[in-house]
Amino acid sequence: MAKGWWVRFSVLAIFVIASVMAVTPTFFNLKQESSFPVKSKINLGLDLQGGLYMVLGIDFNKVYRDEIVGYARKAQATLKDVGIDSTIGTLDASDVSDPKHTIILTKESDREAAKDKLREFYNYPLRLTQDEGVTLQYGLGRDFIREIEDTALSKSIEVIRNRIDEFGVTEPEIVSQGRDRIVVQLPGVKDISRAKDLIGRTAKLEFKFVNDEIPLATLNEWLDKVKKAGIEYKKGERWSDYVRAINTHLVSDLPKGFEIAFSKTVNKNTNVVTNLEPYLVEAGSSLTGEELQEATVRIDQQQNRPYVGLEFKPQGAKIFEEITGANTGKRLAIVLDGNVYSAPVVQGRIAGGSAQITLGAGDYNATMMEARDLALVLRAGALPVELVFEEQRVVGPSLGADAIDKAQMAALVGSFLVLSFMCFYYKLSGVIATVTIVLNVLFTLSCLILVGATLSLPGIAGIALTVGMAVDGNILIYERIREEMRAGMTPFEAVRTGFEKAFWAIADANITTALAGICLLNFGTGPVRGFAVTLLIGICTTVYTSYFVSKVLFEKYVGDGSKKTLSI
Amino acid sequence: MTTSRNVNYVGMFKVAGLLSLILVIGSFIMFFTKGLNYGVDFRGGVEIQVKFNQKVELSELREIMKVGQVPLSQLQSIGDDSSNEFLLKLESDKGDLNAVSNQVNTVLTGKYGEGKFEILKNDIVGPKAGAELRTSAFKALMWAILAIMIYLALRFDYKFAPGAIAALIHDVTIIIGAFILTQKEFSLQIVAALLAIIGYSVNDTVVIYDRVREIETMHPHLSTVETINRALNETMSRTIITSLTVLGVSVVMLVWGGSVIHDFFFAMTIGVILGVYSTIFIAIPMTAFYEKMTSKKAA
Repeated sequence: MAKGWWVRFSVLAIFVIASVMAVTPTFFNLKQESSFPVKSKINLGLDLQGGLYMVLGIDFNKVYRDEIVGYARKAQATLKDVGIDSTIGTLDASDVSDPKHTIILTKESDREAAKDKLREFYNYPLRLTQDEGVTLQYGLGRDFIREIEDTALSKSIEVIRNRIDEFGVTEPEIVSQGRDRIVVQLPGVKDISRAKDLIGRTAKLEFKFVNDEIPLATLNEWLDKVKKAGIEYKKGERWSDYVRAINTHLVSDLPKGFEIAFSKTVNKNTNVVTNLEPYLVEAGSSLTGEELQEATVRIDQQQNRPYVGLEFKPQGAKIFEEITGANTGKRLAIVLDGNVYSAPVVQGRIAGGSAQITLGAGDYNATMMEARDLALVLRAGALPVELVFEEQRVVGPSLGADAIDKAQMAALVGSFLVLSFMCFYYKLSGVIATVTIVLNVLFTLSCLILVGATLSLPGIAGIALTVGMAVDGNILIYERIREEMRAGMTPFEAVRTGFEKAFWAIADANITTALAGICLLNFGTGPVRGFAVTLLIGICTTVYTSYFVSKVLFEKYVGDGSKKTLSI
Repeated sequence: MTTSRNVNYVGMFKVAGLLSLILVIGSFIMFFTKGLNYGVDFRGGVEIQVKFNQKVELSELREIMKVGQVPLSQLQSIGDDSSNEFLLKLESDKGDLNAVSNQVNTVLTGKYGEGKFEILKNDIVGPKAGAELRTSAFKALMWAILAIMIYLALRFDYKFAPGAIAALIHDVTIIIGAFILTQKEFSLQIVAALLAIIGYSVNDTVVIYDRVREIETMHPHLSTVETINRALNETMSRTIITSLTVLGVSVVMLVWGGSVIHDFFFAMTIGVILGVYSTIFIAIPMTAFYEKMTSKKAA
């Protein structure tokens, strides 16, 4: 027997034992309290067990806009603090990915001083784009934009994860893809529309004071004007785009720093907007959902109506107390995703940091459901960005089950055909090949479990492909051995030469396929990635089993060289 | 199987090459005239697979969708008559895809009632994502071919690379041609199949290159054509056995594997046949052809 045989055999034995242990929980239903050391089962892809796959695109443009408006206000306040009088100018969002905002100085002579001051305080977030006469125009700093994107992306993932966790999905997968995408996978989710709804709701909460100096009649006049100009809400359009279009059109009429927002009532069944009420609210906001500590459903005992109670974080509570104190008598609009939910009149300074959102009157149960979802959305955190559904794939559980059954059956039949052919054609050596191929599949599955990869339908195809290549590896070696024996070698020599000569053919063949696999891994998305992962794992196990394991078994079989014939 | 036969494969290169050239050019012409039937992955839009508990006719379903003003662009039944399974494709450019997809559900619930049907699959791909998927799939194919070419040139000899790449492009083009001809849906899965075929076809080619190189070192006096013919003949038994086993598995999966993986193995089956053919009649003989061309130029 060749040198080191026992060592190689022991390594193989350890691999086999470890792999069998790794796949045990997948194939046998172990009890929860069982003392078996391995617990994790194989992750089945959504196409196999049903569920929801989504690619969400992040729309950063609104974030940029909000940031630049916010910083323009802060800058103006800073200038005021140092004794430079100015007013907030206008927003120029013609380049949506780089919006700019102006600050209008009262005296032109202040210009250099103002520039210096702002550079001192806001060098990082703001970038001077123009200065002319009394006008200073700023855009967001380049590095700051990147930082905003990074934060928004990671925050969004965190928020989505929180929401999903509250929804109770086992093993959800939420990852970023590139700089502006999030991939969400929810295996086994049945109530798909509700899950989608929960994730999709951006639920951006803002508190904005209402400008009541301008009467409702004027607002309606303006809206008529907008309608006449042909700006209408088209079905399928995003509501926020429509509202933005209105505000852009009315920019010369609106008082500076204010914009129009709507409170809309939507019929839940038909999805048709039944009532629209315009409000003139602040364009930015002093308090957002970020400052929110807790949102809970409570019941108004007198009217027996559910509402959402809000608690602010210390910082938020302080701001809330301040702004309610300064604006007593005004209405404070609670704006969720750009829509006014309610606009209660501030009766006085509200200390202690609590507020409430009352919901529209209606059926108790419907209101309760709405309150619960709203509280959930608020509690789980407000999404910092708007998300666009770019891709959604839903697989019903029965399609998955059916697919598994059929694919499994066909894979078994196919494998049986191939393996029985091998046994028939190569006799005892064919049995060795069969053993190595079975080991190959075992190793592939256990590797998938160990690295936590997902087995999807294309993944099964990947395994089928590697099994094909493993068979090929064996055939390569056997044909070579036959050839050498025909040329007059003894079985011992023929086996040695056969393995030696076939090695590079097997290696080259597998490396080239691996190259294709790596390309798939880098460029492919979703299902294609699953195929690539199983293919790459399969290639490693194939080279190991069809060459090294075969060799170990063959060396045992041909023994020390005294054998005269070989069953091949 | 014996390897004593001595078939002149290189001699068949001209005939095989002509046949392949016709198929490749044919595929190209179809690509630009008839065009691929892109799946929802690449085209963007909505695709819904629905199964009913009761007998539903295709024409009936089409009528219901028309009355419900669903922007249906394609409707087909899946499986046999008794399965009552349908695939609906909705237009991609009309408004919100999400709303359109919900509309189907509403219309079906209104007509048949809840629980009388099941949505097996519902894919919504925005137009932007569709376009990006198309580019990334194309890139994956190109990079795979390029990486393989570089590897072959490094591991073997530059003279082997053109044949292998010609064979790969040949295989991929003709499979795409087959998809155009049958108007089967070209989806992400099919791209995965194409890459698997590339891997498989190269595998086949490399094994024989390996033998060519071995014969070259052992019998340097043989001409290139003789060397190549000898390598092909010597490895023929392996080629046949391997292809038949892989083809066997592929056909079994095609016939009994179920609708979800049907198209994948449709591509694989054609690919396996093409892969063997292109290895024997295109990739390997082309090496001889290529060498003849370059040596002529040098002379």
